[in-house]
Amino acid sequence: MEREGLIEELKALIIKSLKLEDVLPADIEPADPLFGSGLGLDSIDALELVVALEKKYGIRIPDEDVGKEAFASVNALADYIIKNKP
Amino acid sequence: MPGRVALVTGGTKGIGREISRCFVQKGIRVYMNYSSDDTAAESAAAEVSKAGIPAKIIKADVSDQEQVNSMVEQILKAEDRLDILVNNAGIIRDGLLMLMPDINWKRVIDVNLNGACYCSKAVLRSMVGNRWGRIINIISPSALLGRAGQTNYSASKGGLLSFTRSLAREMARFGITVNAVSPGVIETELTGTMQDNIRKEFISMIPAGRFGRPEEISNAVSFLASDEAGYITGEYISIDGGLT
Repeated sequence: MEREGLIEELKALIIKSLKLEDVLPADIEPADPLFGSGLGLDSIDALELVVALEKKYGIRIPDEDVGKEAFASVNALADYIIKNKP
Repeated sequence: MPGRVALVTGGTKGIGREISRCFVQKGIRVYMNYSSDDTAAESAAAEVSKAGIPAKIIKADVSDQEQVNSMVEQILKAEDRLDILVNNAGIIRDGLLMLMPDINWKRVIDVNLNGACYCSKAVLRSMVGNRWGRIINIISPSALLGRAGQTNYSASKGGLLSFTRSLAREMARFGITVNAVSPGVIETELTGTMQDNIRKEFISMIPAGRFGRPEEISNAVSFLASDEAGYITGEYISIDGGLT
């Protein structure tokens, strides 16, 4: 999948799976950290996102070390999916 | 409850078998885990299945994470869900700490505590995805009171109680509850072989003046596994005739 399209898809998935009702895709800056600031997501939210991403893209985020790399930003997440999807 | 899928570790004997039977009666599809005796497990499943829909048996040593993961994968492949986990598998290797063989410490922690961790970890993704789940850990009065000769067992069960409380807080927002049940002395094959004088001594310590019945445990587990108990999490229920 084209990277730009994937980034838009990921923004929508993040909003949907974490039920961020007041957030629009345009509010998510692809280079900004996903957790700890910006969107105000916490580490327990990340669990929900892990499950949603694994299901949709067939990737595996086995532990928090990988999670930290993948969730650094939407850009990082897109790169992780492109690199690891089956 | 009908249509839900449950895994009961150590589910073919004693309290685990009664919990499996209680689930079967409620229309839950039950996987009874066991670790060694195939023939006994098959006959236990046949017997439990008389209470309703057929229960299945599934072999794995819960202290071996690879075996646990492959057991859970097998269930998820067949059922596409796993709603209820009862961490019931447990062993006892009593002895005074000063003279306890190290292997007896390690083995009890491996099965009773690490086993519950591996099983819980293996089922959580499916439960988070479904936004519904029940984990019920079987602990012991030894988790709450000290008991000479049970440093390993009480540490494993006390650890499991603390694990219960913390995991409950991690999972609460996903509709997953994590609770513990603490059975006192229960009538099982094990207590059936007790000598009379030991039996009397035990009974003298129990305010209710008798051992518990397996179904008195399984009814509480079944309640905690139900929709009705959805707001109870991080708790334990003692079912011990007043012992603790």
